[in-house]
Formats: sequence, C-alpha cells, structure tokens
Amino acid sequence: MDYIIQISGPMLEGARTTILLFLIVILVSIPLGFLVTLMAKSVIKPVAWIAHTYIYVMRGTPLLLQLLFFCFGLPQIPVIGEYLVMDRFVAASLGFILNYGAYFAEIFRGGMLSIDKGQHEAAKVLGLSKWQTLRKVILAQMFRVALPAVANESISLVKDTALLYAVAVPELLNYAKTAVNRDFTVTPFVVAGVIYLLMTLVLTLFFKALEKRFKFE
Amino acid sequence: MSNMIEVSDLQKSFGKLDVLKKVSFNIQAGEAVAVIGPSGSGKSTMLRSLVHLEEITGGSIFIQGKPLVENGKYASGASIREITASMGMVFQHFNLFPHLTVRGNLELAPRMLKRESVKEITTRSENLLSKVGLAEKADVYPAKLSGGQKQRVAIARALMLNPDILLFDEPTSALDPELTGEVLRVIRQLAEENMTMIVVTHEMNFARDVADRVIFMDNGEITESGTPEQIFDHPQQERTRIFLNQETRV
Repeated sequence: MDYIIQISGPMLEGARTTILLFLIVILVSIPLGFLVTLMAKSVIKPVAWIAHTYIYVMRGTPLLLQLLFFCFGLPQIPVIGEYLVMDRFVAASLGFILNYGAYFAEIFRGGMLSIDKGQHEAAKVLGLSKWQTLRKVILAQMFRVALPAVANESISLVKDTALLYAVAVPELLNYAKTAVNRDFTVTPFVVAGVIYLLMTLVLTLFFKALEKRFKFE
Repeated sequence: MSNMIEVSDLQKSFGKLDVLKKVSFNIQAGEAVAVIGPSGSGKSTMLRSLVHLEEITGGSIFIQGKPLVENGKYASGASIREITASMGMVFQHFNLFPHLTVRGNLELAPRMLKRESVKEITTRSENLLSKVGLAEKADVYPAKLSGGQKQRVAIARALMLNPDILLFDEPTSALDPELTGEVLRVIRQLAEENMTMIVVTHEMNFARDVADRVIFMDNGEITESGTPEQIFDHPQQERTRIFLNQETRV
C-alpha cells in the first residue's frame, strides 16, 4: 500500500502531461475537424480536394508514424529541416491534432449527411442565409448526431496519449515503465491502468450528461 | 386586377425528362387556389419553383410584379431573396427544426432578420400559436407533437414572417387520416381571412370546399382549370374525369 502511494506521486505527475495533451488536442482538433468538413463540402473543387486528401493521408497512415514524422522526421528535411525542430511535446501535439482533426472531420461529415434536406429548404424559405442556416439549424443537429462518435474518439484519444512513450515525452505510461524496471514489480502498470480507467470514466459520464442535455425532447 | 403571381411558359427538365412543359397561370390577391392531379404531374415542382427551391429551365415568374425569373434568366441573388421573402411555405413533411422548441421554431427566422423587437416577435408567436390552437405547446420540442400538431406549428412558423402568399405542398399527405381535419381547418380559416394561397393537395373535398379556383395538372401541364364546380362537377377533359373517378373511389 505504501508502495502504491509512493509511486502514485510521480505517476500522477505523468498523468498531468497526458491530460494536458488530451485537452489541447480536443480543443483544437474539434474545430479543425469542423472546418475540414466544411471544406470537404465546398463547391470550390480545389478546396474540397485538399480536405479529402488531408483526411485520406491522416486516416490512411499509422498515428505512430505521424508522431515519429513530426518529432524526428521534420528536422531531417534538407534545407528547411533546421527550422522545424520543435519541442517534442509540441511536435507530438501537432501530430495528434492533425490526426484527430481528420477523424472528427469524417464524424461531422457523417452528422451532416444525416440531416434531412428539408431542414435546409425550410430555413431557406424562412429567409435565413446559408451562414445563418449552418449556425442555427445545422450545427446543433449535426452535433447531436455526432455526439456518440465524438465520445468514442475522445476515449480513444486518452488511450492514444500513451504513444507519447514512443517519442520519449515523459507521461503516465513512461513513469509506470520506469518504475517497473526500477522496482521489479508489476504494480505500477496496474496503477497506470487504474488512472486511465478513471480518466475514461470521467469522459464517459461527461458525454452521457451531454447526450441527455441534447436530447431535444 | 392585381396579380400576386404571374407564371408564364414555365419549363423544367431533368435531363431529357420534361417535368414542367410551358405552364402558365396567374394568382390574384386573396385567391385560394387548389392544385390537383396525379403523382408525378409536376405540381410540387411548380410550387417549389415559386420560392426558388427548384431552378427552372425556361419561362417567367413574377411575384407581385417583380421578376423572380424572366425568360429563363434569374434575378440577382439579393433580389431573389427579397422577392421570395413575401412567400411562406408549408411542407408535406413539416420540416420543423427538431432542436428548437415550438416557440423557437416560430421565432428563429424573425429573430435572425432583426426587423422588429424581441417583444413584438414573442407577442406574435404567442398569438399565432393560439390561433392554431397550440398555445400550451410553446415550450415543447417537435418530437413530442403529433403529425397534425407539427403541421399546425409549421403553418404558424410560416405566418411569423407576415407573408403575402402562402404555399402548401401536400400539407396533409404525411398525416394519419384522423389528423388531417385539424390542419385543414387552419388552412380553411386562412382562406376565409383572404390569405392568397396555393394548395397542392390530394384532399378533393377540401379543394372543392375551400378553393376559389382549381388547377388540374397532368404530365407537366395544366390541362384544365376553373371553379370547383366546373372541375369537379363538369370536367371537360377526359384525363380530369379519370383522375377524379379514381380519387373519389378511394
């Protein structure tokens, strides 16, 4: 028991990095995903094409490869590489944001597709502009439809933060592994598992509450 | 004579298929016109083209003397918005906004347009909800309403913008038979208040009782039009007769 308390301190320290990364990625990649959804639906072909290519590349390659690319690949690029050396946490955050942005874009696109075209027609006949329709009619409904998938992605993100281990940014899993190696015991892994479960539990409850709030009944 | 709507030689084709073939008609102020005819005859497409939900391929539409489209050439985007703003539309499937309460559905557009104070808007939405008999449902979401109630909310929503012309696209076709009455009563009341309206409908009794004039469409054309007595009691065209026989049999 004493041992658990003793290792919990540094592990919670690691969990702070995990939570920080999670918050940064969620807060940036959701708006990014929405923007990409709008781009993908744009009537300007090159814009739509850029969005689709971005989604294809980010979904079609492993997240781990993307993280390694941003942390260790970019600085190797001839000429401009030396300007692309970032703090590894920053580089990894960028990788996560771009990756999750692509997934959120697809989730939101699905949400958009589920909205009946009668909603656009009603808004148009009522004199709402395209922008007003998007903001006041489409967004709330799209968000409602996308909510379960967004919850799913968020929980995946909590667990994916463990990939920071691979780019040697100290976080929860990193501390656990260090403790296991140092103390010859499996306990730190169990403690890490419990901390991950607590984080995902909080998220699960949060999204349950959101779904209830956006039931529209 | 003041024509609220003047349509001439309206044409619309999807590829090789001609949905509307040179449709022409006028609607006068205060007139209630029923449009009847078989499914696929182009009734809804005609109605929807009046509020620019369908792009037509040829012909002209004048709303209160202003050209929405003239000889197949549309007015500018701003003019289109201005001209169609004088018309309200009620859809077959209601198209209420599910994420807003009944009150929210009524007040969204006027609040966005910002032409009047919030006080005026809320007063009008309360009056209109009473008018359609749904005052007590103001804070309910559409999911909790019956089909007939939804359609009455949709009518009130359309009336919020004080339209000069109201268009109904099969307003009772998605309703259970026992719920059509409450919706038709509201439309009838509007007709009695001399609202200019076009009602695309399959309710023959309603068309006969409420309409000042009936237009029969078949295969993308207006093949016959006249008073309800002329159309229902003395149809001149064979096609009208066959259609009416089928409709009244079921």
